Amino acid sequence: MKRFLTALVALALVATAAAQTLVVGQSGLPVTLDTGQDGNSLTPAIQIVERLVGFEQGSAQIEPLLATSWEPNEDSTVWTFHLRDGVSFHDGTAFNAEAVKFNFDRWNLRDHEFNFVEQGRDFTSFTYVFGGYHGDPGYQIERVDVIDDLTVQFTLTGSIGFFPQQLASAYFGLHSPSAVAAGGIEYGTPTVGAVGTGPFVFGEWIDGDRVVLVRNDTYWGQVAGVEQIVFRGIDSPTARLAELEAGSIDIALNLSPESYDIVASSTQFRPVSAESDLVIGYLGMHQANAPFDDLRVRQAFAYAIDSEAIIDAFYGNLAQVANEFVPPGLFGRLNQDPYPYDPERARELLAEAGYPNGFDTEYWYMPVSRPYFPAPRDVAEAVVSYLADVGIRASLHTEDWGIYLENYSEGKFPIYMLGWSADFADPDNFISSFFNEANAVGFGYDNPTLFALISDAQQAGSLEERDSLYQQIAQILHDDLPALPFVNPRTLNGVWNNIEGFYPNALGSTVPFNTITKN
Amino acid sequence: MFAYATRRLLGLIPVLFGVSLLVFMIPRLVPGDPATIMLGERSSEAHRERLREELGLNRPLFLDFQGATERGVGALFDTQYFEFMGDILVLEFGRSIYSFIQVRDGLFQRFPATFELALMAMLLAVIFGIPLGVIAALRRGTFIDTGVTIIALAGVSFPVFWLGIIFIYIFAVNLGWLPSSGRISVTSAIPPGTGFYVLDGMLQGRWEFVVDALRHLIMPALAVGTIPLAIVVRMTRSSMLEVLGQDYIRTASAKGLSRRNVTVKHALRNALLPVITIIGLSFGSLLSGAILTETVFSWPGIGRWIYQAIASRDYPIIQGGVLFVALVFVLVNLIVDLSYSIIDPRIQYS
Amino acid sequence: MNGTSAPAAHGTSLGRDVLKRLLRHPTGLTGLAIIVLFILSAVFAPVIRPGDPLRTTLATRNIPPTLIMNSADLERRGLSRGDFPLGTDAQGRDLLRRVLYGGRISLRVGLIAVLIAMSIGTILGLIGGYAGGRVDMFVVWLVDILLAFPGILLAISIVAVLGPSLTNALIAISITQVPIYTRIVRSATLALRQSEYVQAARALGSGAPRIIFGHILPNSLSPLLVQLTMSTGTAILDVAALGFLGLGAQPPAAEWGVMIADGYNRFREAPWLSIAPGLAIFLSVIGFNLLGDAARDALDPRLN
Repeated sequence: MKRFLTALVALALVATAAAQTLVVGQSGLPVTLDTGQDGNSLTPAIQIVERLVGFEQGSAQIEPLLATSWEPNEDSTVWTFHLRDGVSFHDGTAFNAEAVKFNFDRWNLRDHEFNFVEQGRDFTSFTYVFGGYHGDPGYQIERVDVIDDLTVQFTLTGSIGFFPQQLASAYFGLHSPSAVAAGGIEYGTPTVGAVGTGPFVFGEWIDGDRVVLVRNDTYWGQVAGVEQIVFRGIDSPTARLAELEAGSIDIALNLSPESYDIVASSTQFRPVSAESDLVIGYLGMHQANAPFDDLRVRQAFAYAIDSEAIIDAFYGNLAQVANEFVPPGLFGRLNQDPYPYDPERARELLAEAGYPNGFDTEYWYMPVSRPYFPAPRDVAEAVVSYLADVGIRASLHTEDWGIYLENYSEGKFPIYMLGWSADFADPDNFISSFFNEANAVGFGYDNPTLFALISDAQQAGSLEERDSLYQQIAQILHDDLPALPFVNPRTLNGVWNNIEGFYPNALGSTVPFNTITKN
Repeated sequence: MFAYATRRLLGLIPVLFGVSLLVFMIPRLVPGDPATIMLGERSSEAHRERLREELGLNRPLFLDFQGATERGVGALFDTQYFEFMGDILVLEFGRSIYSFIQVRDGLFQRFPATFELALMAMLLAVIFGIPLGVIAALRRGTFIDTGVTIIALAGVSFPVFWLGIIFIYIFAVNLGWLPSSGRISVTSAIPPGTGFYVLDGMLQGRWEFVVDALRHLIMPALAVGTIPLAIVVRMTRSSMLEVLGQDYIRTASAKGLSRRNVTVKHALRNALLPVITIIGLSFGSLLSGAILTETVFSWPGIGRWIYQAIASRDYPIIQGGVLFVALVFVLVNLIVDLSYSIIDPRIQYS
Repeated sequence: MNGTSAPAAHGTSLGRDVLKRLLRHPTGLTGLAIIVLFILSAVFAPVIRPGDPLRTTLATRNIPPTLIMNSADLERRGLSRGDFPLGTDAQGRDLLRRVLYGGRISLRVGLIAVLIAMSIGTILGLIGGYAGGRVDMFVVWLVDILLAFPGILLAISIVAVLGPSLTNALIAISITQVPIYTRIVRSATLALRQSEYVQAARALGSGAPRIIFGHILPNSLSPLLVQLTMSTGTAILDVAALGFLGLGAQPPAAEWGVMIADGYNRFREAPWLSIAPGLAIFLSVIGFNLLGDAARDALDPRLN
């Protein structure tokens, strides 16, 4: 036995880390490197492909990236971008206005030659930000024109003052047109990878195991501090923490906030979060149908839940109770007090509404962990238990994430949970995503006055005007209570002490890693 | 022998036909429209229709009688099932709905991971199982025998995924001896080769790589190997007992051959035959175990892939994965069956 | 084990004989004791540990087992040793209560699944063995197809079609176990069909039902019962496996597999969460295996 142990210890000593490889553990490997929509896809992708507009280090303020400057026309319906000169894609293709047009047309136009829609490919993330594909109701980008080699012009369907912010969304990294054409439907998969202009070049992707990116030594900007990055997919947050402790990963992304104390008390690694995150999680109630069509029932729901206790339990000290749908850190807020925990009041309201004995219903919880609900099942179990105390008896259900999103938008869930991590720093990204006419269906909420206000707020010229419009919206939402704002959390990452220069921002840890060094 | 092998192979055809039928039906039995599931809720009806056309979802399932009367007999087979069959005969399972990877490529990349795990588990089961079984048989009726029997029964009673968690907690979290997830350290560059890391490393003389691969293998293999270990122990024991009771062993002992000689040369060799069969037959529980354990160890194998695909309803992966594993399973059983007849020439197949 | 051993004249005397041998068998007795213990604890769970196993109490969350906690910690937390013997989970629920209630799900689902499998398997085996010819070929074909999938993979595929739930897990597990029973009954039927006394019964004008229920079934009973015991253990393991993967019982159900999954999410901070339900699975399964093993010995004296 003793010899066996010695052998094991010897084995343990063999694996010593190569100095200049940064190992990042995330909750899964990418789905695709080609315009994905989840963090696991976008964090590796953003190292390879770059956007026209980026963010300042560790902040949600925009700054030039592949575009050096831009200007709108008078009413912000036409935007002109001037591109960085002398940049080329990793495969040698020149980066120019044609390449920009190629990418946007590919996302926007259904019949584009290289979007492979026929084979099932789609760009859902594009429709999140820009209202839909060209021709859809509410689509935003009318046309992209090449003015000259380094100037490109976007013509919009309406006035959008925050168009550059939209372009800074992590989805819109620009891919090499020749690589896309050559890769076909396999572009973005492990077989082909992706080709961009960024600080790292696609190395290899061993399906189910790891993605390796190699430093781009001829990068136009700050050349990366590490020679390569290895992304690993480790599903469970606890397993990621265990790997961090073992030293086999340098950065563990999206740890469970509950582990904050363990990470903070370590002498070898430390917690890293953004100052604040533009994230909100909410609890939805479908109010097209009884019993949630009654405002008193929705209020009872709000009073029944001890949000503070639940958040204390499952978010470490990295979150606060949400009071409205636009998170702190943005304009357009009223800073109201959240609903207090008052089960007595909840029971009264239920009785007034005609449910003195409560009622049976369904609570659908998210099958995946997202920044707004890192532990959706735990929160759901606790919420359901609180609801049961006042007589709202909800059974728990879940289903595949894709189907979940579909069914909630069709109003199939009496109670559910969902949230939003900002794509860009503007209240519109929250308010429109939840409550514009197309999306409010998910709550069974129909308020034409509100829809008109949202449209006005989106297009209004001055910041003051927009601020006051969003405050009006906040008041309506507080009174109507179409859903209960629940939590404004922050994301927890664990980082070894020999790693410097990792700056997650308010939009998440999807940031370029060229600033990172390893000592 | 050759005739027997041919007959066994031919006998597989109806079974594989049935298996393919089941796998073909998986997505078609699920409530909901496959095109909507594939394209998402935001897709337009025209878009979905195009995809249905593309995938042939508008065609009849099995036989197209109407088409046959209109366009000749050939059209009878222009159906979803026959296209599916044609595709799987060339291992064409389609592409993942979400990542667009060729399912075939993914299978070939992940298969060695699952198979290496299963083989290592089997190896552990044999290395520990046979000696334990022999000892129990030789010490029949003693407390050693009872102990071994109880261990064997315990072995088939563990939930393997739970064992995996317990191993991680002890050996990775607390003692820090072994890595808790993955197949290989990220700092090890993977050499091109068969995808069986231990084998590749040995062939190329990269011993540090072999050691690294073994360090990752040992915990999941132990977890997966408990059930086959228990099965091997039991089978070895009872088979040894049977052989030891045979006349020729008694004769050998009576002739004055040493006990060790009798045990090893005569008894064990004959007792091993049924053990080999049982090893082959427990390959199913190895694959099952691997499927459950891969999730716990973030092992990049087929089982975890299928399981993740079920969560996202990625049917090409589910179909390809299930079909592939079933195929491997059936082939392994066939090989075991045939090798049995080679090892033991007394067995005559007519 | 096979069904071709010489048919005994009467089931009852054999049964009594077997039972006697079984109870003299130390492992059989142990197995039986474990099973009885689990059944009793499941039935009387509300008495042993009153309270709702599903209700969240955030104030008592993540308490390690008080049974093994040192006295200083107990005092600091203001707890006594019997408060939460197995600890509490992230929702503050008493783990002992959940493990006890978990026995209700596992034992019930395991037994029902096996009984369904045995019924269907027996009917198929009888039909195949008795009818012979094409019908038999069809039955054999069905069985071979089901056996071409490693057990859990078949169950997972079935749940992939039906959707994850405890009921669907039960159906899936039943289906995976059908072939074993079909094989046992079919081979017994085949052997007996040719036997002299069945031939004689036929000559005397007995109909198929009479032959089946009077002769064939009683003679396949002992291997069936052995298999039933053994595969209840397997079914309990599979229920837990599907629950662990999220394909079986759904939270907040107090089901052992679901509880292990809970524990897996926190194995670093709260290892006790998965240890207790895992041991419960292990013990109940080994109970059935010990009993099945003893039953096999008792029914097949050649092995002794």
